[in-house]
Amino acid sequence: MADFISRISVVCFAASYAVALACEGSRLLFRSGIRGAVMVGFAAAGVLAHTLFLGWRAANEPAVPLSSAYDWYLLAAWLLAFGSLWLTVANPRTPTGLFMLPLVLGLIGAAEMSSRAPFPQSPATQVWGAIHGSFNLAASVAVAFGAIAGMMWLIQAGRLARKQAPAQGFRMPSLEKLSRFTGRSATIAAWAAAAGFASGIVLNAVTSQQGLLESIPWNDPVILRMGALVAWLVTAACLERAASRRPDGPRTTALLSLVSLGVLTLSILWGLFGASRHGAPPHQAGPHLSPAAAAVMLAEALPTATPPGPGVIR
Amino acid sequence: MTLAFVGGSHRTVPMELRERLAFSAEQAAEALRRFRERFPGREGVLLSTCNRVELYAASEHDSAPPAPRQLVDFLAECRGIDAALLTPVLAGENDQAAVHHLFSVASGLDSMVLGEPQIVAQVKQAWALAQEEKTAGPLTGGMFQAALRTAKRVATETAIGRERLSIPSVAVADFASGVFERFDDKRVLLVGAGKMAHETLRYLRDAGARDIVIVNRSMARAEDLAAKLGARAGRFSDLLDELVRADLVVSTTGATEPVVTLEMFASAERRRGGRSLLVLDLAMPRDFDPRIGTRPGVWLYSIDDLGAACDANRKTRQREMPGALAIVEEETQRFMGDLHHRSSAPVIERLRAGWTETGESELDRLFRRLPGLDDTARAEIRQSFQRYAAKLLHSPLTSLRNESHSGPPHGLLDALRRLFDLKD
Repeated sequence: MADFISRISVVCFAASYAVALACEGSRLLFRSGIRGAVMVGFAAAGVLAHTLFLGWRAANEPAVPLSSAYDWYLLAAWLLAFGSLWLTVANPRTPTGLFMLPLVLGLIGAAEMSSRAPFPQSPATQVWGAIHGSFNLAASVAVAFGAIAGMMWLIQAGRLARKQAPAQGFRMPSLEKLSRFTGRSATIAAWAAAAGFASGIVLNAVTSQQGLLESIPWNDPVILRMGALVAWLVTAACLERAASRRPDGPRTTALLSLVSLGVLTLSILWGLFGASRHGAPPHQAGPHLSPAAAAVMLAEALPTATPPGPGVIR
Repeated sequence: MTLAFVGGSHRTVPMELRERLAFSAEQAAEALRRFRERFPGREGVLLSTCNRVELYAASEHDSAPPAPRQLVDFLAECRGIDAALLTPVLAGENDQAAVHHLFSVASGLDSMVLGEPQIVAQVKQAWALAQEEKTAGPLTGGMFQAALRTAKRVATETAIGRERLSIPSVAVADFASGVFERFDDKRVLLVGAGKMAHETLRYLRDAGARDIVIVNRSMARAEDLAAKLGARAGRFSDLLDELVRADLVVSTTGATEPVVTLEMFASAERRRGGRSLLVLDLAMPRDFDPRIGTRPGVWLYSIDDLGAACDANRKTRQREMPGALAIVEEETQRFMGDLHHRSSAPVIERLRAGWTETGESELDRLFRRLPGLDDTARAEIRQSFQRYAAKLLHSPLTSLRNESHSGPPHGLLDALRRLFDLKD
């Protein structure tokens, strides 16, 4: 059994999700009596393989479980895939997977491009690091769920505005439900991102107290990027709340959720392709390193343990 | 073994004649009792709905079912109509065509509203009534069960009955349910008392709506309607206030000018706290200024908008027709194959009985000559004989079944009768 699990690769579950996505897409082309079962079967197989893969990595990595950027992306993808499967089973007539599975595959792709090296760990910063990473994960997943609900809202509103009956096999949830979901996601994302940012500051403060970091490196590109993301999510949540008592509030909320996803995507791309030393071990530092980044790097040289995301603040 | 039907529907029988020809449940039961007396030993099922009257007859044995002419006369007699009036408008079919027709009817393919599901229940009721009156039998039983199976397949394997076609059902299921998740916490305002409003309210009630207010120019009429529908009556002068509180408006007044103008709505809109408003304007001319529909958070649908959605759904149903007909054809072929195969059952029985009799006499002779055999050995030998006979019969029975798919296997049956000297 262990041998079987060890042979599960990213390709296994990514391919399962891709087939499930193709099945969802075929709703628009033709009717089928067995498509639903095939789609759920592949999505469930993907989630199972994904779970076993993460479980295997958690049990067999020498570092703290799931403590690399690679694992963080895969964990985020797993949460979205599980949510997609759950929603598909609960609402078989809604093409949830058509919206969620591309994000899942995108996160898996991001994982493949990111570092598998675990972040430095230490008992002193382990708890704050875990909190920091978890809040960032929650914020990112909430943004993704909110954006999907927002996109569905815009499609449903477009259909209702055009005064068309729903297309076969493409029935969206009601505007009321989607609007409520988008609003809640925006609130959760803002709180989680703010908590993630705050816990990152605490993490740096703890590191600083140990004398290995002079001060929090506020001008590090990653901190600036994360700060901007948090600022946007909090602003979006406030705007959503302010708009909720206006007739066009639901549309504003839906559009804000899509902008939030765009900001998050840019942030992830910056993390993947940008030249930051954030979260990297000290021996990888180059001569071009800025004093602030050197300070960050120094902090990370301390033994810490977190499952932080691409926007980790230390 | 034959099947027949005569009948007429909205396609062929004028409404006045259809009304005279229609049977109530009691009249249908009485007609079946008369059928039993008139055509003893024959099976009969009477299907009578508001759009069709059809009499199915069958004969299990060699005697033919009543001829179509006799069935027309019988229907005319039961309803006291001159048979000469019915003859030109009623159609009759036999065997495969009759089966195909019933399967199409049960699947809603012959209905006035294509794919409507109520016909399935009516077919079931007709069959149940025939059972009660003891005019149903194995042939009509198999035929009606196969018809219901076909209807189920058509309903599940095609979308022919999925899209809604009536304006109230489209308004609630395709539009109101697209805006609101639930209706039990929504205020429904009914303006006017048009006929369409009743039907729409029925769908809204089914969807969970409980808080319903009716305003009408005549307070007495509003109160009367409110009592009937379990709603509250409001004054027409309070329309603006009711509009502020409402989440969903169904408007069906007979007013010749808009009842709610853009200016009126603008003043109500400011007090609504940004809540969404769905307006089903089912009046002609319209009760709501169409410009209200451009306001944010307002979903306004006129009767023309809903009618267009109904037409689109109707076209969707039409597109499903080829798939549904293919299912009907497949099930008809299957049923007829089984039916033809059943007609060979007496010959098979005689063949099997002859072989069993010969086998038993041979076994008796063998056991007399071998008295030392114990019971176990005898049982083994008997079982071997039976298996041998079954294997010999397998090929002719398979040939008969295959032949049955293309019609009654008269040639093979004759050959079997002559080869094995099978007497009737």
